[in-house]
Amino acid sequence: MAEVSLDGVEKTYPNGFKAIHGIDVAIADGELVVLVGPSGCGKSTLLRMVAGLESVTGGEIRIGGRVVNDLEPGERDIAMVFQNYALYPHMSVYRNMAYGLKNRGLAREDIETRVREAARILELEPLLERRPNQLSGGQRQRVAMGRAIVRNPKVFLFDEPLSNLDAKLRVHMRVEIKRLQQSLGTTSIYVTHDQIEAMTLADRLAVINEGRVEQLGTPIELYEHPATTFVAGFIGSPAMNFLEARIADDGTAVELPGGDRLPLAGNGFAGEGGRRITLGIRPEHLEDAATATPTCHLAVDLVEQLGADTLVHGHFGDDRSELTARLRGIRTLPRGETLRLAVAAEHLHLFDRENGRRLDGA
Amino acid sequence: MVERRPWLTAFSHLSVLVCIALLALPIYITFVASTTTMDEIIHPPLPLIPGDRLIENYLEALTRGVTQASSTPVALMMWNSLVMAVVIAVGKIAISLLSAYAIVYFRFPFRMLCFWTIFVTLMLPVEVRILPTYKVVADLGLLNSYAGLTVPLIASATATFLFRQFFLTVPDELIEAARIDGAGPWKFFKDILLPLSLTNIAALFVILFIYGWNQYLWPLLVTTEAEMTTVVIGINQMIAPGEDQTNWPVVMATTMLAMLPPVFVVVVMQRLFIKGLIETEK
Repeated sequence: MAEVSLDGVEKTYPNGFKAIHGIDVAIADGELVVLVGPSGCGKSTLLRMVAGLESVTGGEIRIGGRVVNDLEPGERDIAMVFQNYALYPHMSVYRNMAYGLKNRGLAREDIETRVREAARILELEPLLERRPNQLSGGQRQRVAMGRAIVRNPKVFLFDEPLSNLDAKLRVHMRVEIKRLQQSLGTTSIYVTHDQIEAMTLADRLAVINEGRVEQLGTPIELYEHPATTFVAGFIGSPAMNFLEARIADDGTAVELPGGDRLPLAGNGFAGEGGRRITLGIRPEHLEDAATATPTCHLAVDLVEQLGADTLVHGHFGDDRSELTARLRGIRTLPRGETLRLAVAAEHLHLFDRENGRRLDGA
Repeated sequence: MVERRPWLTAFSHLSVLVCIALLALPIYITFVASTTTMDEIIHPPLPLIPGDRLIENYLEALTRGVTQASSTPVALMMWNSLVMAVVIAVGKIAISLLSAYAIVYFRFPFRMLCFWTIFVTLMLPVEVRILPTYKVVADLGLLNSYAGLTVPLIASATATFLFRQFFLTVPDELIEAARIDGAGPWKFFKDILLPLSLTNIAALFVILFIYGWNQYLWPLLVTTEAEMTTVVIGINQMIAPGEDQTNWPVVMATTMLAMLPPVFVVVVMQRLFIKGLIETEK
């Protein structure tokens, strides 16, 4: 068991392209940290640097206190699960799992015990003699997991392990991975572009954008207090609405396009009257307004019925600032109707319009 | 496309049968000729039913050869051919696998230059470089030896190129998984790449064995002693020049014998080849 720490880790490719710009992350023993971000943001590169598959051009990576920058992947005491499983096609399931142990020079009986144990945990016992091409996607995924756990490594690395599975199996395997990781208590780094996977699996979540950590925290911290518009837009589904708004002259409310006012909690923005900001509102935080509460008026454009919820797409005022609201239950709303919606003050997210950083008031 | 047209089916079957007959008839006549006596062959009509001298003719060929031309027994010639074909096939496969492995998986200086150097030799068949090659082999004192027969034919651009193309299709994740499993370059080659290449190796072996077995020009130049003659050359030498009478039944028996090893290799390796295709995937 071990903690992993990244200190100012950088990656510059020989052609001069800088993929990772100095990342600092400390991962505690037994913690599962998810790296999430859009494709091409550098999350996989970072994971592969921890694995030793990509060289580190700056900073230090430590696993269990030992600097591993220049160690071969096989010497780092890690195990990795690949997106396309990367099982050896000519070997049986048993030999796939045993191969790493054999290379380490373990005795035949020890290998047998460990593989049987892993197979029991993952319910692979009846499949041990099969070849990978005789297995279903979910079974292959489990073999790849098995190959990782038999080695009893210090760190598990997952590189989008569920992306090749169908939606139903993905949910199932997600739960299995979480359960397995908790019962084994192995430090893990998990890369995904799927924010739901990230939210559900992570102890802590690092949102990565263009080779930098945009924000690091628990899933709920990121959901409730996104540090930037990027994080705010990435975490949560459907995505957060962003509106161009301004703080009212007295600093106690936000003025929406179209003239509606939403009051702010406290008076932290007293000195910021008239400042133009980006206002973020999550669709699920918009509620039907009782007559007395301050409201905004949404012109309905389109309604999507999901059964449990109804997604209402509409716009404000004349400049057609678009917004999506997620309302409870089944609602039928004709196009063009005006909907009165309210948002609790604590659910308003204010961001600087220039640099996208969160504004928390004075 | 499945269509039911009886006359079309009949026609295609008929044409297949005709083609088989065209291919098989000469071989059959050779076989018949190898089982008869000299007299029966030279006096028309050519017999179409096998004669009774099967065992005698083949034994004579294997043990004594055609006495009046060269007295090398065919068994020895076949052995020479076999050694040549196997060494060429195995040698080519071994060298090509290793050079393709180096070119695909290692970043060394002048890597692409090496590849193109090998690739360019594709344009120079044995016949073109035969004189300089002969000079080198002669200077090294390798005339009339197995080494002289085989080594110059081993270096092969074709096979290197084929393995290179195959290695390029092996997903990178397999190498990465192997590295994480603690396999170094040699282990990866031995445990992963080699087993995955089995089908290719089997197919290449078939082609290269026949290539080696049928070599004519090179053995003709390099071997002058009767003990080093290969069977393909031996057949030619058996045909008596000028007025001398050729012992046709024995020559035909030799021809049949010379055909057996390639046929055997094709039949045996084809099974392996198909087995490999079914059981592995990339």
